[in-house]
Amino acid sequence: MHETQTVQKDRVLVDAVRTSPVDEDLLRFRRTAVIIVVAVLVVLLALFLWRFRVDSPVTYKSDEDHFKYGSIGAEPGGSVFSPVGGVLPPYDIFRVLPDICPDKLPGGYASLGLIVEPGHDMPIGVSKRKRLGFEQVALNCAGCHTGTYRASPHDQPKIVLGMPAHSLDLQRFFDFVTSCTLDPRFTPDNVIGKIQAAGGDLGFIDRWLYRSQVIPTTRESVLRLRARVGPLLDGSVTQWGLGRVDTFNPYKAIQFNWRLQDLPRSELIGASDYPALWNQKPRDGMQLHWDGNNTSLAERNLSAALGAGVTPVTVDHARLNRVRDWIKDLRPPRYPFAIDEALAAKGETAYREHCVRCHADHRFGVDGHLEKGWLVGEVDPIERIGTDRYRLDSYTLAFASNQYTLYPHSEHQFRNFRKTNGYANQPLDGIWARAPYLHNGSVPTLRDLLEPPEARPKLFYRGYDVYDPEKVGFRSDVAEEKGRRYFAFDTSVPGNGNGGHLYGTRLPAEDKQAIVEYMKKF
Amino acid sequence: MEDVIFQPLKFRNLTVKNRLFRSSISGRWDNYNGSGSQARINWETKFARGGIGAIITSFVPVHIRGRIMPNYAMIDHDDKIPFWRAVGNAVHEYDCRFIMQLSHSGRQRDVPGAENLMNRALSSTDTMDSFHGLLCQAMTLQEIKQTIDHFAQGARRAREAGLDGVELHASHGYLFTQFLSSAINDRKDEYGGPLENRARFLLDVIHAIRREVGRDFHLQVKINAVDNNNALYPWEKKGNTLEESIQICKWVEQAGADALHVSIGSMFPHPQLPSGGFPLDEANWWYGNMLSAGVRGYFNYTLFHYKLLRPLFYAFWNRTKKERPLEGVCAEEAREVKKAVSIPVINTGGYQSGALIRKVISEGWCDGVTIARPLIANNDLPHILQRGEEPDRPCSFCNRCLVNALGNPLGCYDVRRYNGDRDAMIREVMTVYDPAPFR
Ligand SMILES: Cc1cc2nc3c(=O)[nH]c(=O)nc-3n(C[C@H](O)[C@H](O)[C@H](O)COP(=O)(O)O)c2cc1C
Ligand code: SF4
Repeated sequence: MHETQTVQKDRVLVDAVRTSPVDEDLLRFRRTAVIIVVAVLVVLLALFLWRFRVDSPVTYKSDEDHFKYGSIGAEPGGSVFSPVGGVLPPYDIFRVLPDICPDKLPGGYASLGLIVEPGHDMPIGVSKRKRLGFEQVALNCAGCHTGTYRASPHDQPKIVLGMPAHSLDLQRFFDFVTSCTLDPRFTPDNVIGKIQAAGGDLGFIDRWLYRSQVIPTTRESVLRLRARVGPLLDGSVTQWGLGRVDTFNPYKAIQFNWRLQDLPRSELIGASDYPALWNQKPRDGMQLHWDGNNTSLAERNLSAALGAGVTPVTVDHARLNRVRDWIKDLRPPRYPFAIDEALAAKGETAYREHCVRCHADHRFGVDGHLEKGWLVGEVDPIERIGTDRYRLDSYTLAFASNQYTLYPHSEHQFRNFRKTNGYANQPLDGIWARAPYLHNGSVPTLRDLLEPPEARPKLFYRGYDVYDPEKVGFRSDVAEEKGRRYFAFDTSVPGNGNGGHLYGTRLPAEDKQAIVEYMKKF
Repeated sequence: MEDVIFQPLKFRNLTVKNRLFRSSISGRWDNYNGSGSQARINWETKFARGGIGAIITSFVPVHIRGRIMPNYAMIDHDDKIPFWRAVGNAVHEYDCRFIMQLSHSGRQRDVPGAENLMNRALSSTDTMDSFHGLLCQAMTLQEIKQTIDHFAQGARRAREAGLDGVELHASHGYLFTQFLSSAINDRKDEYGGPLENRARFLLDVIHAIRREVGRDFHLQVKINAVDNNNALYPWEKKGNTLEESIQICKWVEQAGADALHVSIGSMFPHPQLPSGGFPLDEANWWYGNMLSAGVRGYFNYTLFHYKLLRPLFYAFWNRTKKERPLEGVCAEEAREVKKAVSIPVINTGGYQSGALIRKVISEGWCDGVTIARPLIANNDLPHILQRGEEPDRPCSFCNRCLVNALGNPLGCYDVRRYNGDRDAMIREVMTVYDPAPFR
């Protein structure tokens, strides 16, 4: 004990004697230098954080603009080193992709049915947000829930917010973005050159980051993405075509990393129409989604956002809720053409007798009143409706249980998803704008739907937006217009079946015509 | 016609056989503690044998705190007198005069050695030197008095050793310069401020020496004609002008000095003196000796070490070089000083060619020249000049001798002068140890 103390004392003495004035001064200098270096590092770190951690979505004043262009958080997040979420490349790249692979997408994004408004550089449904140091883009709700119609081929399309995007070719959109990213032309030189040529002003640091980080990372993540969703894009399952999406299969691959190759082929056939978004408040508590797998609007919204590309890490609840609140009271568009009121009045009577029990009437959303015992918003067993069952089967019990694992321990954790055995009866508000009909859009017009399946069109074209007021729906006999090809819908393909829903098919033709006229008032 | 170079030069108390002086050059060959060695005797004798009229010793510290490097013989104690007597006797055998340069480094203490590691150098100021970052503290009045006395005692010892005179090293940034220069001296007392206050320390020393050794012992002062203190770093102060220096020279004459030795530069080495190159490859090897001396040592070493950074150093070092000739660097200033005083003026700075030496003496710019490096290169330069020739292998003013002095025995280290034979070069340098001390 005594010995160690002496040793320690000696050591202190030795140390004390070992600093010369020069050492002391250097030590002071080093201390100052360390302080300066630390300060510089702190500033650099702050700049780094400011540059790479900043999360600033573009904010819009009006709810409509927010719906059209606002972010719901589907842009990539996480960190520069391991980005999460987001299926689109950064803004500058996204913008010039059609220039990089013009042969893959002649006509640019508009040719995919994305709606580009004058004065906007991005189509409706594409949001911008600065994340990970770059302007990022992503899909939002409007991409799949905004449609157009025209009275004649010579008219300007009218944009209807909340309407199903019946012209959108989402499958080709993903195919284009991913295959162009993996194209040999997607080289740093070419990409940066195209960005600069398009007026993008990439500074020295940006160019360096693009070269060293962004472009390679984009390719890598697309390679991974393509490997996961491969079977959905390689043409081996029924094509979605225009105006349809397979909601749950990409979700299985992207959010849960399931190997789609291992699933039964039939489960991968899940394409169905986009629903309309209006009148959400009176829908709360109804069985939502085509198959009625959830009764909570909030969960349905969040789940749909996952489909658009948000992840539990990137999701922007506040902005998503702004959309939620706005669509709660969004009114369906009024039928824009003339209505034969006398015929409609006649139709109302027939409708009350044959249809109202399942679908409510034209007052839905106005007073929201639904009488007891009615089946509106309830799942009808598949055996009874008899329509195509692929969409129902694509949502499985295993998938539902995976959904419960999302957002663990948070108020957002899913609690209401369940596996059903049929499709839910929908209120028919704004039904004129929701063509084609049935969940899989296999029947082009309302009038066709009132025919027995054998008499319904077997092959028609989807995605054309010129309206047919006669049969109520879009014209389905146009294969191509101004170079844009519409989707030849073949009802004999698995998932495209147009059978079932025999209600009203045996009525006399006049009644059918009257019911259709009445439904224009919805 | 008689060669002016070989006319005797008469000072008040001293006559030198010709106009050639060996300028003071220091080398590390004495004993570590400042006692003398046989090598020193060998070294000085070389020049005496070579025909030089007078030798001004190296920097001889009057006190250990004023030493610039270890292994420099000192004059800080009476026990050094016998050694210096031996050196003087050896030189005198060749009819060569021997003048001791009494010196004090002040803050410019390049390699402090173990003895000085734990103290700050004594100076006129607290501000470190700007080149190496050598730390210092301003002397108190008492310390000034003590230092004046150290110089007086040094002069007395030189006289007792039978030497021919003393030179006060009041140039090149050492202690006297630190008092004289307006760029360095920031004192608020009677030793700082206006020129007469800044000159006070030097004049006090001259008076003290005169008191100690009397009027009949040769005393000369090596002095900066201009400081050009901002030659390396343009943001530094410029220091004394020629006019100020001339005024100091006049006061020095009045105080009782017998001659002036005109030089330039407020530090040593200075971009303008010694003239010529600054070999950074050598600096990369030997500057390491200075790392513990000053707080900018690491910075300089880094500049010298990394080839990529060297241009940065050269940009500063060579900035003002072109203002001056390689030979006769400050001859014009010497002429101006000479005009102003009536004691003899000798001049240093790149004298090698006989033609130039003859010119400056015959045209009355100065009375004699002091030579350092050309004599390191050719110890017998006076004989060569006397034959009316110029040296076959002249000094190239490369300054390798200067940079080697930080670590190695002084000698000529320009391998080109030995036809690229490095071994021959080292053999030549090492001749300073021949004859060996024990025989
Ligand atoms: C290696 C070396 C050591 C020197 N040491 C001293 C010295 O101790 N005292 C001094 O006053 N000057 C010293 N000087 C400067 C010379 O005395 C002389 O003034 C200067 O080198 C210019 O003369 P030169 O061109 O003939 O070499 C030294 C120069 C060199 C190259
Ligand atoms: S090393 Fe030799 S050549 Fe170079 S300056 Fe010194 S004496 Fe002259």
